[in-house]
Amino acid sequence: MSYFFQLVVSGIVVGSIYALSALGFVLIYKSSRVLNIAHGQIIAAGAFITYALTVWMGIPIYLSFAMSMVITFFLAMSVERIFLRRLIGEPIISVIMVTIGLMSILDGLIYLTPFGTENFSFPPYLPTTPITVGGVSISWTQLVGVIITFTMIAGFSWFFKKSTIGISMRAVSDDQMASMAIGISVPKVFGLAWAMAGLSAAAAGGIIGNITGLNFDTLHAFGIVVFPVVILGGLDSIQGAVVGGIIMGLIQQFASGYLDGNWGLNGTGEVMPYIILLVILLFKPHGLFGIHEIERV
Amino acid sequence: MKKDNVTTWTFLLAALCLLTLPAQALAGEVYKIGLSLAITGPTSDAGNPYAKGVEDYFKYVNDTKMLGDDTIDCMIRDDQYKNDVTKRNFEDFLDQGIVFYLNYSTGSTLALKKDFEEERMPVLPASFHAGNLVDSHYIFLPIASYSAQMIGLTEYVVKHNKGGKPKVAMFIHPSAFGRGPVEDVQKAVAAGLDVEIVEVVEHGKDLDNTAMLKRLSEKGVQYVLCHTVQSPVATMLKDASSLGLVATSFGEEGKITFLGAHYTGGNDLVALAGDSAENFYWTTSYIVTSEPGEGTDMQLALAQRYNRDEKAANSHNYANGMMVAQVVTEIIKRAKSKGKEINKETLYEELLDMNGANAFSPKTTVGDVTFSESDHQGVDTLQLYVVKNGTFASEGSPFTPEYTSKIQ
Repeated sequence: MSYFFQLVVSGIVVGSIYALSALGFVLIYKSSRVLNIAHGQIIAAGAFITYALTVWMGIPIYLSFAMSMVITFFLAMSVERIFLRRLIGEPIISVIMVTIGLMSILDGLIYLTPFGTENFSFPPYLPTTPITVGGVSISWTQLVGVIITFTMIAGFSWFFKKSTIGISMRAVSDDQMASMAIGISVPKVFGLAWAMAGLSAAAAGGIIGNITGLNFDTLHAFGIVVFPVVILGGLDSIQGAVVGGIIMGLIQQFASGYLDGNWGLNGTGEVMPYIILLVILLFKPHGLFGIHEIERV
Repeated sequence: MKKDNVTTWTFLLAALCLLTLPAQALAGEVYKIGLSLAITGPTSDAGNPYAKGVEDYFKYVNDTKMLGDDTIDCMIRDDQYKNDVTKRNFEDFLDQGIVFYLNYSTGSTLALKKDFEEERMPVLPASFHAGNLVDSHYIFLPIASYSAQMIGLTEYVVKHNKGGKPKVAMFIHPSAFGRGPVEDVQKAVAAGLDVEIVEVVEHGKDLDNTAMLKRLSEKGVQYVLCHTVQSPVATMLKDASSLGLVATSFGEEGKITFLGAHYTGGNDLVALAGDSAENFYWTTSYIVTSEPGEGTDMQLALAQRYNRDEKAANSHNYANGMMVAQVVTEIIKRAKSKGKEINKETLYEELLDMNGANAFSPKTTVGDVTFSESDHQGVDTLQLYVVKNGTFASEGSPFTPEYTSKIQ
């Protein structure tokens, strides 16, 4: 039985990190209906900034982690201001193409630094002995990752539901013209959405980097790995990102734990999330929590 | 007046040409070599120090006039681990008249095999896949193949396992590179290598390997043989450590001993996995800088001469790149000493002649480099290393796997 519970715990850990990584997509889509293809590069940038502050500048890692979130907040905001602000009102496909270009630019910039090609790892700062209860283990790195993830997700959920700016962002997502008519600054909302996505990406990068080590190839791949999570949960739902992430994490762990190595199967943990995704989308085309908009003509 | 000027200028130019002719003759030949590899993109953590090793050694050859007045012009291009880019680079190198080609990945080496045959171009890749040599006359592996490395590790497991038939799993990269040695290990088992392969696991971009490790543990797997790059191995080791599954001594009962081939190990693994890398067994044909000797002194001096950082200087992939450059330089030297013209044909002949008394010792490897018509694998011997207190230390003497010859 401890085998089953171990898979559950691992699934939740992995799933919550997927959820945090997916949050950036959701935040941008929620306000501007744009999919940011360069999200993986921002995740990687956040992790590298944390490392640079900690190791090269000698700042304690907890502080570096917070500082990198602030830096990435402004970095993403600048990206929106420089590249995307002019595209407000243009077809969505144009904006998505710009984010593809942005991905190439960020790739190129990161390749100019040692982070583009070398492996790095954060200095150890957490106990290495795992926490074990009833034969189920979780490492401190994973536990801290889960705590940060849920804290941030709770924070963002509150922000969108209760704060004035959050409600403005939801209004812009719903109808840009109507929002402008009641005095909401759409450009400011877009900028803030990108900035918050940058902040969550930096957090995700720090957590993933702590688990896998800092390898650009691994880190930026998470921008794509979490795609099924976003689609499953619904592109515009924070709650969906959390549920979708955890479902994906659990499916991966159970597939790997029970299917792989049996009946000649291998690598099902990689494939099963996509199979389940297709099945769910057959019944819920907008994802589990995505809004199904009805247009009346 | 105008006519006088023209005549004067003509004389001056003629004199200038006459004066510079001996200088041009003295400048010597320039031998062009091409290297296409992943300096960015997947596996660039290995490709980057490899490129530095090649670049620095050829610079050293030119700076110290190792080839007299002749020089080597090595063109290094990034292919981002993409076969189509590698092919484009190779074709461009051909247009520029290269006499030797250095390749990198398994995928591109296999994909360009026919081109190498058509062009009759001798090639040293960074891929040690035994399949590179099938139906090929011009590809030469610098060191023991991945198959030899994995068979060597399996033989070590069989020899040192306490108790019955050892149960092993293979943890491989999901690519031609990773799958390369699986069939050969299975052939070795069929040929009598007494081990049970419980599972072959192709990893993905895993954040957590708990399910896989628990499953292997439940199936009684005692050894995991890894053939991939460092990052996924480090993540797995950290997870295994968190689950209390890492053996503290070789073959410890109820635990798992982790072993790996060339690209899984090195200093980066220790940096990424930290304490979890303790007791990781690793094999390669290169001498590592934590085991100082003539070759590693040479490696560190070269890196220092060209201002490389500590990380690159101590990388076994820097030694890897340096070694192929040493081999190319050596065959050019040998061809020159025999008065041959330096071209792809003569360099190919020299490679095939590199055996017996003509074997080459680059000092950066644990054995001599030997090639012949029937032997396209350079260094046949391997060294086993184990992580102790955060550094790789030699375990036993260099060895040659027995079963590699039995499966051919």
